Order: sequence, then C-alpha cells, then structure tokens
Amino acid sequence: MKRLNRDSIIAIALLLFCGVFFWASFDIRTPNYGVLKPSTWPRVIIGIMSFLSLIYLIQSLKGNPNIATAGKSDREPGFRGWVDYWRNPLWCFALFFVYLALLPILGMLIDGILFVYVLMGVLGGWDGKKPLTHAYIAVLTIGFMWSLFTFGLGVMLPSGIFMDPI
Amino acid sequence: MVIDNILAAIDVLANGHALLLMAVGVAGGLIAGAIPGFTIAMAVVLTLPFTFGMSAHLGLATMVSVLVGGLSGGLMAGILTGIPGTPSSVATTFDGFPMARNGEPGLALGIGVWSSFCGGIISAVLLMTLAPQLAKIGLEFNPWGYFMLVMFALTITASLAGKNMIKGLIAGALGLLLRTVGEDEAAGMARFDFGSDALLGGFDFIAVLIGLFAFSQLLNDVRDRETAKKSLTQRSTIQVKIEHRRAIAEILKRWTIVVRSSLIGVFTGILPGAGGSIANILAYDQTKKASKYPEKFGTGIADGIIAPESSNNAVEGGALIILMALGIPGDVTAAIMLGALLMNDVVPSPSFITDEPVLAYSIFISFFIATFMMLGLQSVMLRVFVRVTRIPMYVLASIILGFCGIGVFALQNVSFDLWTLLWFGILGFTMRHFGFPLVPMILGVVLGNIAELNLARALAITPDLTPFFTRPWSLFFMIITIFSALFPMFQGHRIKEKAWTLFYLPTACFAISLPLFMMGGLTRPVLAAFLLCFGTYLLWQRKQNGWRFKA
Repeated sequence: MKRLNRDSIIAIALLLFCGVFFWASFDIRTPNYGVLKPSTWPRVIIGIMSFLSLIYLIQSLKGNPNIATAGKSDREPGFRGWVDYWRNPLWCFALFFVYLALLPILGMLIDGILFVYVLMGVLGGWDGKKPLTHAYIAVLTIGFMWSLFTFGLGVMLPSGIFMDPI
Repeated sequence: MVIDNILAAIDVLANGHALLLMAVGVAGGLIAGAIPGFTIAMAVVLTLPFTFGMSAHLGLATMVSVLVGGLSGGLMAGILTGIPGTPSSVATTFDGFPMARNGEPGLALGIGVWSSFCGGIISAVLLMTLAPQLAKIGLEFNPWGYFMLVMFALTITASLAGKNMIKGLIAGALGLLLRTVGEDEAAGMARFDFGSDALLGGFDFIAVLIGLFAFSQLLNDVRDRETAKKSLTQRSTIQVKIEHRRAIAEILKRWTIVVRSSLIGVFTGILPGAGGSIANILAYDQTKKASKYPEKFGTGIADGIIAPESSNNAVEGGALIILMALGIPGDVTAAIMLGALLMNDVVPSPSFITDEPVLAYSIFISFFIATFMMLGLQSVMLRVFVRVTRIPMYVLASIILGFCGIGVFALQNVSFDLWTLLWFGILGFTMRHFGFPLVPMILGVVLGNIAELNLARALAITPDLTPFFTRPWSLFFMIITIFSALFPMFQGHRIKEKAWTLFYLPTACFAISLPLFMMGGLTRPVLAAFLLCFGTYLLWQRKQNGWRFKA
C-alpha cells in the first residue's frame, strides 16, 4: 500500500460526509403512516455511497490505474503556490460571497454593478483605460438585465437601503 | 387527434411574439454555442430565469430554440478558429478547420450548417413519431419498473464516465442524497435541515443546476490568468460568405452519411448520459470506417464535416424522446427542460403526451421551427460571432456571473437560492477538478424524488420486494443496469482477453430475453427468441474459434 494520496483523502472525506448524514438521519421523525419511512431512502443512498467511497479508498490506496487520478496540476509547491494557482477562482468565490452579503444593503442593481466591475478589474487588471471600460460594461450590462427583470418581467429584485423608495 | 394537437401547437406558436422569442433564442444559442468554454447546457440553464414569466409553451419553445441554436453554433468556432465551440463539435474541427485553411471556409460552413439542419429535421421527425409510441410503452411501467428505470439511467450515466466510473457512481449517489434535503414529498417530514428554516425547503433545483454547471464552468474558464485575459480571435473581421448551393450539392451526394449519422445521434441521445460530445466522435469514426478513402479524413473533406454535424444536432431529438415519453432526461439539457416543466407544474411522465398534448406538440413544433430559423440566422450570427470572440474571456465570465445572480434570484425571489448557487458552484468546481463527472450528479438531483416517490408507491402496494425481480419491466431494467455497470470492466478486460468477457454478450442476450418473454404479446417474445438465438450463435462462434473472440 502506498501512502495517502489525494484520491484517498477525498475518499476519507466522502466517508466522513456519509457518517455525518447517517448520524443526521436519526433526527428524521417517523410518522405513523406510510410504508416507506422518510429516513429509509436517504439511508439506502448513504449506504450505497459509503460502499462506493470505500471501494474508491481501497482503489486509491492500491494505486489502481482504473481510477483516473484527481487533477494533477503544474502549480508551484506550498501554500503560496496554491493560492497563486487558484487566484482567479478564489477571487470569484470571495467576491460573490461579498456580493451576497451586501445584497440586502446595496440592492441588486448597485451590488450587481459593483460585483461585475470589481471582478473584471481583479481578473483583467486595472491598467490603462480598463477601469473606465469596465465601468461602462458593468453599468450597461447589469443595468440592462436589472431593467429587463424589473420592468419587463415584473420581478421585485432586492432594492437595498439606498433605492428603497424606488 | 395528432393533427388536432399539431394544429393547436402551431396556433400557440405561430404568432409574432412567440416567433420573436424563438429567433432571439436561436441567435443566443448560436453565439453561446460558438464561444469555446461556454456549453449549450449553460446557455439553456441561463435562459430558464427569463422564461419564468412566460407560459409553459412559450418558455419551452424559447429554451428549445436556444438548444437548437447552441447545437449548431459550435461549428462556427470549430471551422473558423480550429477551437470547438462546444464538446459536441470537436470532430467538426478535424475536417472543418483544414477545409477552411485550404481556402474554402464558406463551403465548410455551408456543409456544417446544412448537415446540422438535416440532422435536426431527421431528429425532429423521429421525435414526433417515436415519442408518442414510446410513451405508450411507458404507460405499462409500474412503480417497480419506473424505479429501476431511474436506477438504470443513473448507472449508465456513471458507466459512461469510463475510467472514472466509481467517481460517476459516487456523484450520482451524491446527487440523490442532496435531493433528499428538505421536506420529503411523501410524508412531509423534515430531513437534513440541521435546524435551518432555509434548508427545510430544500435546494432549488434550478439554482443547483446553474451552480453546478454554469458557475463552475465559468470559474474553470478563467482559472488560468493569462488565458482569461485573451480573446478567442484578434481578427476584427472574417470575410466569409456561406456557400449554400455547393454545400447542398455536396450533402445530397452523401445523403447516406447524413441519415446514418443522424440515426447515431438520435440513438446516442436516447441513451441517458451520452450526448453530443460522444455522438459526434462516434459518427465521425463510423463514417471514416465505412469510407472508401479513410486516409483522406483530417485533410478537409466534406464527409468529415457532415457526419459530426448531423449527429450532434440529432442528439437532442433523442434526449427529448426519452424525456417526453418516459419523463427521464437523457442529458443535462433535457434535465433543464424537465426543470422548466416542473417550474410550470407539469410533471413529465409516460402520460405527459396524453395529459398535455398541446404542450408536448408545441415542443415538437418548436424543434422544427427552430431548426429552420437556425438555417436563416447562421449567416447573420456569423458577424456577431466575430465581434463576440474579440471580447476577452474574463469580461464574458464576469458579466455572466452577474447575470447568474439576477437570474437565480428572479426564479423564486428567495436570497437562499443565491447561496445555493454559490455553494453548488464551489462544489461543481471542486468536483470537476478532482475528476468527478457532473452529469450523474445532476441526473441524481433531477431524478432523486422520482425514484423515491416510485419506491414509496411500490412499497405502498406491497411491502414485499419480490416484484422488483418478478415484474417484467423492473427485471428488464435491473438486468440492463447490471450489464451496463459491468460494461466498462468488460471493455478493459476484453483487450486483455480475459475468459469471462467471452460470455458477457451471450449472457446479456439470454438474461434480457427472460423479461421480454414475461411481457407476453407477440412482438416481445419474438424479440426474446431472436436474442436467445443470437446469444447461442455467439457462444457457438466463440467455441469454433477455440474460445477466443477471433480465430
């Protein structure tokens, strides 16, 4: 057996995930009607998933060529290399998180424009005329979508505290 | 009756508003399909929020139009830049790009466009004729059969992941498990809510789809910093005039390739999980094998464009046949269609065509109309395509992420759906990175409650589990589930000439004949007898070869 590789770590994480869900399945109340208990189907799936994860773990420990190894990358070693390699997706996640957190305050229009503007800046850079171009694009595209949904489709998008009277 | 339904569907769609929406859908699909990194599924799923204010007929017609446009859009990028716009147009680049480089881009595009058109029309005809017939068979399914059909769909989708089959199965199970979060539909009890009111309602299935497919795909597209800043082409103009007449003449000379490839496409579409990405390669390969001049493939010949383009457009007809006849989505785009139907309180099942004939036929008719529109709009969209491909990927990705936010919120006006989008975006991105296929998971999410409801129905009839083995359709799907699960192992071991692989196909024939005999009637026992004879012949042949595949 080889030492733990990335696949075996994923398999262990999946087994832990199954464990948590199996434990949580005991919180599901059973009514006094119906033949199939509400907890039965999830437990069947958890059982199957645990079994499959176990096979995955064994295959990964054996170094079975029948499982394609989880994504090998050409990134630099260490935490810094990891952050550098995943910089763009991490920024996307972080900015979307901030976008969602600020949504009740700024509303969909302002928050959306800011999100798209900042994201374009972070991914594409801030040099030259880019900030101005990005601003145009963000205002036009999100403004168009917001107008389409608000006035065209009649959707009540979050207005935020600044545009509440609107 | 059929004519009445067709006329009623035409009545719904033959108006300026519907045709305009469909034209916009086809145009949008053509552009989305043409941009490498954007998938057709992504385009269709992002259309969903726009359709929520429309009637089911209009919404689905718009989505079908995006789908048809997307299927044909991939060829523009593939032929003009050598980079396939979608995975379903990979094989188009093998001969399309060389033909364009040889100085005939107009002819290459013309052949691609007309092949797509022919594939689409053949598939639409089969959709209209086969789906109602298959639905009649679907009405024979009882809860045991239907439950096993869902299991078959999940297993075959996972088995198509090839070497990643175990990961595919895990992904499918994960999809099923995540679908159980929230109140269960049968008893109304809370499951896995972890004390959160938001989780009690479960994850919105559309937000999950957009997160898993669109959000994670966009992150994948901008992962590399340098690639994200680049545009597909730096050229400001591409002077191409599509040569329609020459293209039609070339296709008419090779009509057998069109028919064969379209049938391959429809069949691949019917198979759950397989899609355009498989069909186009398969059709290309079959055409090359059947060709009198296989050595010319890859140098820019018409055959190499006709085969993949007619097959990839035919795929969706096949996927829609299964969706509309049995309520089982054949691929991700069909799963999104299913979501659109559910959004309109229409539950696809074998009785769907009977219960909602106008809606069903409006889907058929919109497939036809969209295919014709695609033909007309392709030339116009070529100019737009050139402009769009000059926009750097990071700009497109940022705008679409912003659209995702507005679109997902608009579905139910619930902020929790946006968080669902984010978490499933992260999950999808992580799964892609670790080599877990997303399609089985999506099918798991889509089919999870269908499977559970049918299991509950089956157990409500009798708590006994033997009907799963004694009912013909249940046994039939159970057998093909087992054999499809073993198929990747069979393929691997056959190369190594392991003894058991000699018996795989004969055993499958014998096993499948059993439920067919049990079904009764005339056709199915005859088919079963044929399978028995074929299995016996295979065994005899292998014995003659000294228990080898070939002497």
